Amino acid sequence: MRELRAEWTKLRTLPSTFWLLLAAVALTVTVSAAAAAIVSCPSAGCRYDAPKIGLSGVQAGQAIVVILAVLSAGGEYGTGMIRTTLTAMPRRTAVLAAKATLLTALTSAAGTAAVLGSVLAARLILPGNGFVPAHGYPTLSLADGPTLRAAAGSVVYLALIALLGLGVATAVRDSATAIGLVFGLLYVLSVLPYLVTDPYWGRFLWRISPMNAGLAVQSTAHLSSLPVGPWAGLCVLAAWAGAGLLTGGLLFRLRDA
Amino acid sequence: MRGEATIEVNGLRKRFGPTLALDGMSFTVRPGRVTGFVGPNGAGKSTTMRVVLGLDAADEGTALVGGRPYRSLREPLRHVGALLDAAALQPSRSARGHLLWLAHSQGLGARRVDEVIEQVGLRSAARRKAGGFSLGMRQRLGIAAALLGDPPVLMLDEPVNGLDPEGVIWIRGLLRSLAAQGRAVLVSSHLMGELQGTADHLIVVGRGRVIADTGVTELIAAVSRGRVAVRTPEPERAMRTLARAGATVTVSGSDALAVSRSETFAASGNGPLTVSGGEAFAVSGGEAFAVSGGDLLTVSGLPGERIVALLTADSVPFSEVVAQRATLEEAYLELTRDAVEFHAGTGREAVR
Repeated sequence: MRELRAEWTKLRTLPSTFWLLLAAVALTVTVSAAAAAIVSCPSAGCRYDAPKIGLSGVQAGQAIVVILAVLSAGGEYGTGMIRTTLTAMPRRTAVLAAKATLLTALTSAAGTAAVLGSVLAARLILPGNGFVPAHGYPTLSLADGPTLRAAAGSVVYLALIALLGLGVATAVRDSATAIGLVFGLLYVLSVLPYLVTDPYWGRFLWRISPMNAGLAVQSTAHLSSLPVGPWAGLCVLAAWAGAGLLTGGLLFRLRDA
Repeated sequence: MRGEATIEVNGLRKRFGPTLALDGMSFTVRPGRVTGFVGPNGAGKSTTMRVVLGLDAADEGTALVGGRPYRSLREPLRHVGALLDAAALQPSRSARGHLLWLAHSQGLGARRVDEVIEQVGLRSAARRKAGGFSLGMRQRLGIAAALLGDPPVLMLDEPVNGLDPEGVIWIRGLLRSLAAQGRAVLVSSHLMGELQGTADHLIVVGRGRVIADTGVTELIAAVSRGRVAVRTPEPERAMRTLARAGATVTVSGSDALAVSRSETFAASGNGPLTVSGGEAFAVSGGEAFAVSGGDLLTVSGLPGERIVALLTADSVPFSEVVAQRATLEEAYLELTRDAVEFHAGTGREAVR
């Protein structure tokens, strides 16, 4: 597919692509390590979810993924390059599909590195803070089913965030607006459930928040108390990403460039 | 070269909010010649080009490239090379990187990229970031992109914008040679003078439609209407002699000021422009020199050699007999007088 090759050449000839991916990995691992360093479990019976702590850097790293995804579409509108792109490749759906495929691949690769780094850092740091088998915390390992699910789910989470960013940027055609919108959707909507006093609405907002629901995939303990299950939560985020991409794609096809 | 070398635009209509940008735009661009696409700002030139390239959808009408709608072309840059906006690139990518992704989108390789870089003279700057390029270098990069697919049709929007005189001469030669190779070349400009000496054919537009679709030579002849300027110290006698022979003679003014047009862009600056009033002097090639006194008459209905013969036969003294050839600029002004959009911000052209 010509579109895929051209979009790949575009990404690799832009120095920012490499630096943003590196920053996403570094930020995720750093924040995960910091989170692991500040919690402590002095005795048995502390209610921490160790894998979730070890993966908490994803909440920061996703910001860089959003920027990368938004720039891949919004950056072309800012410079007028989109007209060059569509002159060379008039099949607009194919262009968007190529961008989506490459973003998924790149964020999955960077996400895997970030998640592995985070798990490794947590595995080394947590035992020093009391997360030991005696307190009910075996050493963090991807051989453990729920931990593996949390780790793999986090990679999928980051890829879906990228697709959401791409869809929103294609729809609004401006990088700054798109980054603001996606950050609002993720971070503002994630604290909103805690500001609502009514428990029904609180749980409802939690369930539709792309970040809260999506990160449910990182939970390995107290699953029954979550408003939404791990995979169902990831599906909520997938629905957001799908809706964003669909809206962006339809507008992309219909509008003048 | 593949495909037919034509652009066919038929009855295009396009509205942007309250502005009717295209109002029945129709024309055909033929191979083997440079077709100038001229009109005042806001006349619909850029919009037409965007519709041809499938970037904007027309409300009505069709635009075909080599007989096919642009959006149906699988490798469009091998059919049409276009330069719409030289700034339409990402500044942090190198010039070569920019051409490379374009080449890959058409199934072309890096070798072709290096060829066009060489052709437009950007070799030493190819690995620099395009964002640091001057406007002239960006124009060259845009032209390299247009030439990438070796297309039978080229469409360039204001290509000499921002080029230095050397660049202007280069692009003119390039356009002439592309047309000589049998390609169809459409070049837009809002300055008629830029096209003088380059274009063979003209499509003059105003208010979203075609005002004139004609050869350059015919257009100039039509506007000049065979007028001849005669300078003589005895205007009454000259007028009598010439009127007797059936000519229409008007006095252009005593102590007239004759200015010979010699713009940088108008290569053939041989159309005298007469201005009445002021001291008698003539400007030619930027230098001023005094001219012996005398009145300037404008004669129509007689060729220059006949005028010389008649005046000589009657021994009427005269110092100059010049065929008045209108410049392309004058022809253009006459055509577009009614078509100029006066209000600013007419749609997208102003935004570009």
